[in-house]
Amino acid sequence: MSLDATPSIPSRGLADRVLRRGPLEAGATMIIAAGVVMLMQPFSLTLYSWSFATTLFGTVMFTIVSKVRE
Amino acid sequence: MNELSASSRITYRAVMVRPGVARRIRGLSDRTLAWLFITPTIVLLLAINIFPLLWTIYLSFTNYRANRANVPTIWLGADWYQSILTDPDIWAAMQVTAHFVIWTVVIETVVGFGLAYLIDKKFRGHGLWTTIILLPMMLSPAVVGNFWTFLYQPQIGLFNYMVAFFTGRDASSFQMLGDVTLSPWAIVIVDAWIWTPYVMLICLAGLRSIPDYIYEAAEVDRASKWRQFWSITLPMALPFIMLAVLFRGIENFKMFDMVNLLTGGGPGSTTEVASITLKRAAFESWRTGYSSAFAIILFVTVFGLANIYVKALNKVKSR
Amino acid sequence: MTSATTAHSVVEPSATTRRFAGSLVVLYAIITMIPLVWIMLTAFKSPDDAISYPPKVMFKPSLEGFCNLFTTRSRQTPEFIRSLGPPQGLCDSIARSRNMVVAGPSNYVPRFVNSLIIAFGSTVLAVALGTLSAYGFSRFRVPLKDDLLFFILSTRMMPPIAVAIPIYLMYRTVGLSDTRLGMILLYTSVNVSLAVWLLKGFIDEIPREYEEAAMIDGYTRFQAFVKVVLPQATTGIAATAIFCLIFAWNEYAFAVLLTSGNAQTAPPFIPIIIGEGGQDWPAVAAGTTLFLVPIVVFTVLLRKHLLRGITFGAVRK
Repeated sequence: MSLDATPSIPSRGLADRVLRRGPLEAGATMIIAAGVVMLMQPFSLTLYSWSFATTLFGTVMFTIVSKVRE
Repeated sequence: MNELSASSRITYRAVMVRPGVARRIRGLSDRTLAWLFITPTIVLLLAINIFPLLWTIYLSFTNYRANRANVPTIWLGADWYQSILTDPDIWAAMQVTAHFVIWTVVIETVVGFGLAYLIDKKFRGHGLWTTIILLPMMLSPAVVGNFWTFLYQPQIGLFNYMVAFFTGRDASSFQMLGDVTLSPWAIVIVDAWIWTPYVMLICLAGLRSIPDYIYEAAEVDRASKWRQFWSITLPMALPFIMLAVLFRGIENFKMFDMVNLLTGGGPGSTTEVASITLKRAAFESWRTGYSSAFAIILFVTVFGLANIYVKALNKVKSR
Repeated sequence: MTSATTAHSVVEPSATTRRFAGSLVVLYAIITMIPLVWIMLTAFKSPDDAISYPPKVMFKPSLEGFCNLFTTRSRQTPEFIRSLGPPQGLCDSIARSRNMVVAGPSNYVPRFVNSLIIAFGSTVLAVALGTLSAYGFSRFRVPLKDDLLFFILSTRMMPPIAVAIPIYLMYRTVGLSDTRLGMILLYTSVNVSLAVWLLKGFIDEIPREYEEAAMIDGYTRFQAFVKVVLPQATTGIAATAIFCLIFAWNEYAFAVLLTSGNAQTAPPFIPIIIGEGGQDWPAVAAGTTLFLVPIVVFTVLLRKHLLRGITFGAVRK
């Protein structure tokens, strides 16, 4: 899926950046997802207690990572 | 639009020579104009969304109660967060939410994708039938959901009658909304009825974005239809499916309308999803500080998921 | 059509496949329509027909549901009713046949009018603000553009209950609680995010060359926006307006939490239409039908743009 195939889309810059900081953003995404799962899983109250902190951390990380160029 | 009509030229000259507003606007640089255009929206959102949000964050650290505004406000630190995050009842509400989210999303995705796959076969009249299928999605979930309480009536309801007709059970032998085991499914059924078309529409876009030549190449390679489905159709439509799944997940995580009208959280607390718990704490027991903390927990979760959603949105956009 | 058949013969589904797919989809469509058809049928039933077992598909149509929707009635003794003059109008005679007299109009019309005012008011505001911002984001280099756009979108994703708590306090302080203006502002703020994202998609599709040509002709940027871009974006603006209208029309959570009488819209009102001994289902169905018909019309008008609307303009096609 080459980006040059869609030159008319103005938000290409964003897609570009997503690709470059792929790993970091993927990490943040995983942390957010983990936090959400922890919030709603029926197995451990301890995991539930830490869910909010995890989601918050993931979200903050995601926001910071999307600021970093390169 | 290459040449502007003579009349609009004249109007434009009239505007040009008139001093005042037009002159002032004309003098604006693109940069000023950009801010002039964007600021009103941002100001509105700051006033109606961000300021209240910051206020909620502040309240979540206090003992404030909206029905007793005269009681002095005490700073409590993170006490409410701690009590919510160790409360087994709230945890139970989260699991009720999880049950609702998982089952609605699974059913809507499977049925929605199936329908999209069938509609993509472009049978005669598919446009008309697609529009008909889309109708429930556009209607007010609250108003339509409310009517489902009538369809779910044990003796007189159409739903119970249909089930009785096809299974041979007695129509008054089960209560979809009053029974502890059935009521979580009652809300899943209504949500699936309303929102399956949503998933269907997005999946259809995904299927239509797959160029024909890929299938043609696969045919040349003599790949079976089954093989084509698993190695072309599904992977190529996956970003679209993800988009639909994420959006439905977020929406159903904060589901309020339909559940409030169908069961109001009952019987007992078997359908008490997070929004209903929050509404009870905020607008029935008026524990404003406590419910603000709860609201922030839900909000951060939704915000985190929204980040992922926008990422998925951009992925689909670049197709 | 015919030329496509030869070009795509390899991938075109066979006639049997099509017929099979078609019949499954039609089956689903019919099942999905049953509740909606049932609402409309119930609206024209008498209360006895509405709660009969087995459910009646064939029945004698009655306007009692609509009468009960628009009026309040009070029970009277037969002697009292006989002492009155001839019934005034259809609803009065239906009420008298049930030993009741029409006491006055119900609240349905004021609630419906509230819905209209709030929906149209917030739509006009949201589309106006949205068009300006969308043009700004589409054409100009705005610092932190992506962050602002995400911020705008994220406001729409907030859980309504979480927003309702501080809004309730804020409106109470500034005197906007239970007012139409308050609801219009609130719905505008929710709708403006959709409007910005959708309209940005539409405006992105209008070639910049049009404006540039106009500006070479001596138009200022602002004039080019008004005279060149706006006319080109009419379809997009109309589609966006309908989406905003539908959202505001359908909204329930804010309305039920933040309004009680004065500014209450129809969605929180319809579920609490009560008759003697429980819910008056024909009246609820009648209210629901009148409430849904405009949306059905809009959906048909909007069907080509639905996909854009539900994906915030990301998926165009």
